[in-house]
Amino acid sequence: MSMIRLSYSEIQDFLNQADLSRLAHLKIAILRNIMIEPITPYLRYLAYQVGFNGEIAFGEYDNIFQEAVGGQGSLLRGDTDYVLVFTALDTLSPALSRTYATLSAEQVALEIERVKEYIRNVLTGIRTQTDATILWHGWELRAHPALGILDSQSAEGQNAAVYDLNVILKGLLPSVGNAYFVDLNVCLARLGAAQFYDRRYWHIGRAPFTRQALCEIACEDVKFVRALRGKAKKCLVLDCDGVLWGGVVGEDGVAGIKLGHAHPGSAYHELQQEILNLHSRGIILAVCSKNNEEDVWDVFRKHPDMVLREDHIATSQINWRDKAANLRQIALDLNIGLDSLVFLDDSEFEVNLIRGALPEVAVIHMPPTRPAEYRDILASCGLFDMLTLSGEDRERGAMYKAEAARKKLQVQATNLEDYLRALQMVLEVRFADEFTIPRIAQLTQKTNQFNLTTRRYSEDDIKTLAGSEQSDVICARVSDRYGDSGVVGVSVVTYEDETATIDTFLLSCRVLGRGVEAAFLAQVLRRARQRGARRVIGEYRPTAKNGQTAGFYGKQGFIPSQDSVEGERQVFLYELNGDAKAAPSFFKEIKSEVDRQLETNT
Amino acid sequence: MKDKVVAIMSRVLNVPAGELGEDASPDTVKNWDSLKHMALILSLEEDLGVTFSDDEIAGTLTVRGIVDIVGKKTCSSP
Repeated sequence: MSMIRLSYSEIQDFLNQADLSRLAHLKIAILRNIMIEPITPYLRYLAYQVGFNGEIAFGEYDNIFQEAVGGQGSLLRGDTDYVLVFTALDTLSPALSRTYATLSAEQVALEIERVKEYIRNVLTGIRTQTDATILWHGWELRAHPALGILDSQSAEGQNAAVYDLNVILKGLLPSVGNAYFVDLNVCLARLGAAQFYDRRYWHIGRAPFTRQALCEIACEDVKFVRALRGKAKKCLVLDCDGVLWGGVVGEDGVAGIKLGHAHPGSAYHELQQEILNLHSRGIILAVCSKNNEEDVWDVFRKHPDMVLREDHIATSQINWRDKAANLRQIALDLNIGLDSLVFLDDSEFEVNLIRGALPEVAVIHMPPTRPAEYRDILASCGLFDMLTLSGEDRERGAMYKAEAARKKLQVQATNLEDYLRALQMVLEVRFADEFTIPRIAQLTQKTNQFNLTTRRYSEDDIKTLAGSEQSDVICARVSDRYGDSGVVGVSVVTYEDETATIDTFLLSCRVLGRGVEAAFLAQVLRRARQRGARRVIGEYRPTAKNGQTAGFYGKQGFIPSQDSVEGERQVFLYELNGDAKAAPSFFKEIKSEVDRQLETNT
Repeated sequence: MKDKVVAIMSRVLNVPAGELGEDASPDTVKNWDSLKHMALILSLEEDLGVTFSDDEIAGTLTVRGIVDIVGKKTCSSP
């Protein structure tokens, strides 16, 4: 909610006037057994905020089965991106919803079984027609369950039945792949039932939700788009005075600031705990503060109630320069785009400055008179949500600290080759397995800069590609004397006859500029040769972000091919007739499953 | 108040305010269908801080009618 600052009518006005045609299209089909059309402005506006032109089409009212299973109408198509499913219990099962207390336990069980079959059929029906991501909205618990206080005392209550339905739905979704559960109960909890349901419009037009509920649901839906389309934010940039603690450290001193377990310092303490949660989810933390640098670090080092420590902060700009320049420097230091940053500040002036100067940066304003709300404001922003949490995410803080150490070494080394050799890098190349698949999918979803084709894949997609005879999913892991960077490179290669096509080749920004790309590509080429390929096709698909990879294949000895389409894709060819490509010499060791296979083959 | 109401209607119905005379209704304004009417009610409620009863929602189908009802609600509220 916090990311929408316009009223409903202002949003509609904006959408009426705005030309969104230059944005990438996002085709959303909505299957529903309720009237939910008024959600359209919120969905389109939020999609616009993520960078898409949302095109929304509705199935006929209460025709889900006919459209999904019967293929009636032209709603579900090959180019549909998202299918939203709304199956309100009132329409789906009036018995479970409205006359629950009249049902016997057997009747309840039968009805639940019927709904289960319905879900199964609808899911399969949708998947037969489209590969789109399915977002199925679960069922809300009753604020006033049919059996009153008795309802919660046994497994036979109405809410127990609703709970069972949700569990059943969650269990069935993975069977069709690329299908997710949208939890309406968290939306309901944020607003409360009185703010969530509009009974007037339920009776007038079978529209159950309030405007606020529609907004909340649209926000929840778009979080999935953000996560799946690589638009999740990566770094939280923190102001200090008035945000991490109350007061001004330069005036009040370390002992005088408000921070602790009791009012008024506890609000800041709780905000820091929430920030630490984000850090544990792999969000990079940075500090941008107008202060004397020593004063700020004094707080981090000496204040007994600081939750965040110096170790948690990957980079900082603590000075008196303008914050727009400082944010640019932070993005540069971390090697990420400005649109990966979220700027958190309590100053109206700074917030407006950034909104004006750097519109691609997401901004969260902490209202200075209401620190008690800070924690909730950050927790509700939804900007960092991901659909996977890998071991790498939890380690990221340590990895960025190691990165800082590498930068120091770089300053000492006299040339790049010496520096790289001094790092004692070990490259490990492996085929995707159950341990690496979540991280591999995540990298395809998140990596924007060193990504030749920017194809986004779900875990299910990667599983399919890895399991297929016609393709390989290969990943690269890099460690050095300062630590383990984890899985940082992914390549998907498809094979047909004597041609290997590099469908995906990407590298996390964490290891750029260390020659990893050349060493990794050499392994991919070895594998292609091993598979009997005589030529390798590499493809570059330009985006706003991946300009640095435009010359990659050329530099690696590939030859531009005639199949290129100006502005859309450039195709390169590599003949596998000469000697194998040698890896750069500055790696301490290259461990490769490809090599191991070579040995067993020969 | 009338100007405020007409401005909101203009935004939601995507029709110039000049075309929303007192007698304008779903019969005379092409964009004003039942779904737009719902969006309109939700917008008026949000922007003006009023609440319509279900009878008022279903029965208020001219610019004049809406302005009258909103006028009464905003006057009588403290």
